[in-house]
Amino acid sequence: MNLLLRGATIAAVLHITPAVILVKRPDAVQALLPGADSYLAREVHLSDPDAHRLHELVDWSPDEGVLTFYSGKAGTTGVGVLTFVRVDTPHGPIEVAVGFSPQGAVRGVIVTKATVEMKPWVLEAVGAGLVESYRALKPGDVPAGAASLAGHAGNLAVYIAGEVDKGVARALAAYGTFYNAHVRA
Amino acid sequence: MLYDLGRADLRIKWLVTCLLATLGVSYVFGALMVSLYAGFTPERVAATYGGRAMSMSMPPETTMVMEHPMSMAEFAKPEVHEVDTNLLIQDTHVHVPMYGVIAAALSLVVAGLSLSQGWAVTLITLLFSAPWLDFAGMWLTKFVSGRFAAVTLIGGWAMGLGYLAVTALAIHQMWFRTRGVDR
Repeated sequence: MNLLLRGATIAAVLHITPAVILVKRPDAVQALLPGADSYLAREVHLSDPDAHRLHELVDWSPDEGVLTFYSGKAGTTGVGVLTFVRVDTPHGPIEVAVGFSPQGAVRGVIVTKATVEMKPWVLEAVGAGLVESYRALKPGDVPAGAASLAGHAGNLAVYIAGEVDKGVARALAAYGTFYNAHVRA
Repeated sequence: MLYDLGRADLRIKWLVTCLLATLGVSYVFGALMVSLYAGFTPERVAATYGGRAMSMSMPPETTMVMEHPMSMAEFAKPEVHEVDTNLLIQDTHVHVPMYGVIAAALSLVVAGLSLSQGWAVTLITLLFSAPWLDFAGMWLTKFVSGRFAAVTLIGGWAMGLGYLAVTALAIHQMWFRTRGVDR
């Protein structure tokens, strides 16, 4: 009976979409907020109209209507802000970390999570220079990582670049529109 | 009986054995995935499927911003693998058809076993109802109460129980029962 129960338990969650951590969050934070020695999390709880506005802008609603930004300081000097954005694809979710410089431009983009299936596509896209195409973008700009890879990377790498584009577009819209909303300590 | 695995051609017995072995391997790796991404307790299943949705509050009337300090250790905290509504829709869409195919394949094996009609119908019902319970538990956990995580676990246990029962009966009747069977 014990064997039966073990076997049954084995089958309990066969449906989980397997996610792979490509870059650990602390590593992404250190890369995108270089030199920071203190961090602050800023949670923006969106009202219905603002959530609707964001959805209209980038066809996206954040989990529970909350945008979370992390800012870093080196001593008293701000080194930037980053946010993690999830993009749901037909192949499972990916997570993209987008870092902004103090001037409000994209400092860097890191794909932190993907599914087992998408991992090689992400690695190929990143290896082909995907993230370089996002540098210095500012809110209002349109990410074009997929277009930058077209012709010199495989179709699946270009496909996944399009999904990363969505993540960067969401981060740009969220940061540009809501980062500097009124802060309650 | 026209279709009797106990008296079937060697090739058919081998086919069924290979099918059961293959499904068994997939179940073992399923267990590894469970341990990696969800867990074996109702609490962990509730955290995976209920997640923050269980504590969802009404949106504020005006957008509110709150800040709190973060340490690097908090960034490094292990994350709970959460399956939100969109991902659960995708999982249901992708996996329920496959569960149906697996249940149908195992039911075809059941149909070839020497069992009373009552037992055969019971086993077939178990094979199909287990994945229904599994996914019903997930949806109920997400939208009704974390207590329904137990339904998902019961569904998963029932799937394993059904698989092991069919496999044990089939292997016994095909390879170990002697009654003038043509092997």
